[in-house]
Amino acid sequence: MGSAVSDARSSPAPARLLVEAHGLTFGYGREPILRDVDLRVHQGEFVALVGPNGSGKSTLLRLLLGRLRPWSGTVELFGRPPWALRERGALGYVPQRPTLTSEVPATVEEIVATGRIPVGRWWRRLGPADREAVRHALESVDLLELARRPINELSGGQQQRVFIARALAGEPQLLVLDEPVAGVDAASQQRFRDALVHAIAHHGTGVLLVSHELSAVAHDLDRIVVLKGTVQFDGPAARLASAGVSLGVHAEDLPQWLEGLR
Amino acid sequence: MTPTDPLAALGLPYPFELAFMQRALVAAVAVGVFAPLIGTYLVQKRLSLVGDGIGHVAFAGVGAAVAIGTAPIWTALAFAVAGALGLEWLRARRRTSGDVALAILFYAGIALGVVLLSLGDGLGGGVLAYLFGQPLTVRDDELVAIVGIGAAIAVTVLALRRPLLAVVTDEEWARAAGLPVDLLNGLVAIMTAGVVVAAMRIVGILLVAAMMVLPVASAQLLARSFRGALGLAAAIGVAAALAGLAAARLWGLAPGGTIVLIATAIFALATIGTRARQGLAHAEGEGP
Repeated sequence: MGSAVSDARSSPAPARLLVEAHGLTFGYGREPILRDVDLRVHQGEFVALVGPNGSGKSTLLRLLLGRLRPWSGTVELFGRPPWALRERGALGYVPQRPTLTSEVPATVEEIVATGRIPVGRWWRRLGPADREAVRHALESVDLLELARRPINELSGGQQQRVFIARALAGEPQLLVLDEPVAGVDAASQQRFRDALVHAIAHHGTGVLLVSHELSAVAHDLDRIVVLKGTVQFDGPAARLASAGVSLGVHAEDLPQWLEGLR
Repeated sequence: MTPTDPLAALGLPYPFELAFMQRALVAAVAVGVFAPLIGTYLVQKRLSLVGDGIGHVAFAGVGAAVAIGTAPIWTALAFAVAGALGLEWLRARRRTSGDVALAILFYAGIALGVVLLSLGDGLGGGVLAYLFGQPLTVRDDELVAIVGIGAAIAVTVLALRRPLLAVVTDEEWARAAGLPVDLLNGLVAIMTAGVVVAAMRIVGILLVAAMMVLPVASAQLLARSFRGALGLAAAIGVAAALAGLAAARLWGLAPGGTIVLIATAIFALATIGTRARQGLAHAEGEGP
């Protein structure tokens, strides 16, 4: 990857802290499903969050997005609590969703253009700068040719790239992606990887990726965080590959791509 | 036709040459435009039947007007807005499933309407005009209200096209993006209530939801974009209103029902046309 990414990161200015969660504890019933979780994502950093089903990944994302309040601990996005976030355009979010069940046809371009709404006031009309950002976002996920197509005619992998483009259209400082490539073919995963690397390299975007399928991005990751109620591991991917089992993480829990790194 | 009637200057041909037909024409065309505009968002939200539920509550508003002896349009609007916001509140908080919430609205609305009517004159001819629609007897003040409500809805829907699209297609993302999702959903609910009340004199409470759904169902088969679907749905709504009124005058049919039957026929044609086109494309794909 990424000599461009490395170059962006070697700039002298200290990287801004985009996500800072400290000592997060939360549960839906009496028992906590997350205990004392710390997580940090810096500007231009590519972090993957992995863990088995029920490990609390989705809950952690909801806490980070301000949809849930922690029992204890603190969480900040861009230095503010997520529910008090003013710069909404700075956060690009790609929800977990294999396909869009669109009743009324909306084009790829129309869906991606909604990604400009959080930039500025939500009721404003979109102008030339917005159209340029939409075009650039479509280009970076290689969907410019399909811009006028109704989204419900696209494959699952193409639709997922539309949602990534919608997040990129807001020119976010932080991208949060929840299982974005589930069930997507290898070629689409490669395009997805290229789009993320482009955002990190050219815009200094920080990326937090929740995914089971990391093979496409394994060599681009700066850090990997293994979650299983608590943070089991937080460090470079290569170190996890050599130390995975000794950390008490069951071998089956590790994503398949680790096999390749071993 | 009075000499001051602005529509008289148009000198429209048969079957729209008379003043009452021209008032009906303006009212029906207005409904043909604004009902499908809001309907496009309701269909996308999978709330096609919500107009029916709100219509039943509006019926209670008509009953209240008869009971206290006032103009039904404003009491119906008050009841419909309250019902629409209540339904949205139930839906958003998932206190009850969507169809149960709708059922409660249906039955409570009709029951309240019947009871209130029994306090007044009962089910007289005036009430039937609201149940089944009667555009031919639309008065000037009603026409002003219909066009006013419709214009407000059309302007709002077009100005907030993108935020509304974002909310109805992906509510979870819209919340994460900081959009005022509850406000926008509430706005859709209020506009739906406005459409129901403005359209009830034209197609009737029992058929009002048809004008929000049928043109949209046709448009979603034919359109290739959300913007196109909005425009096409409104165009189909206007065509059904025009043709329905004309047919009603020519053959002495009930106008509300005729308008809705024509909208249904357009949907049938759109379905057949789409199938034929797909079949043709499929056959070409399999060709040598």
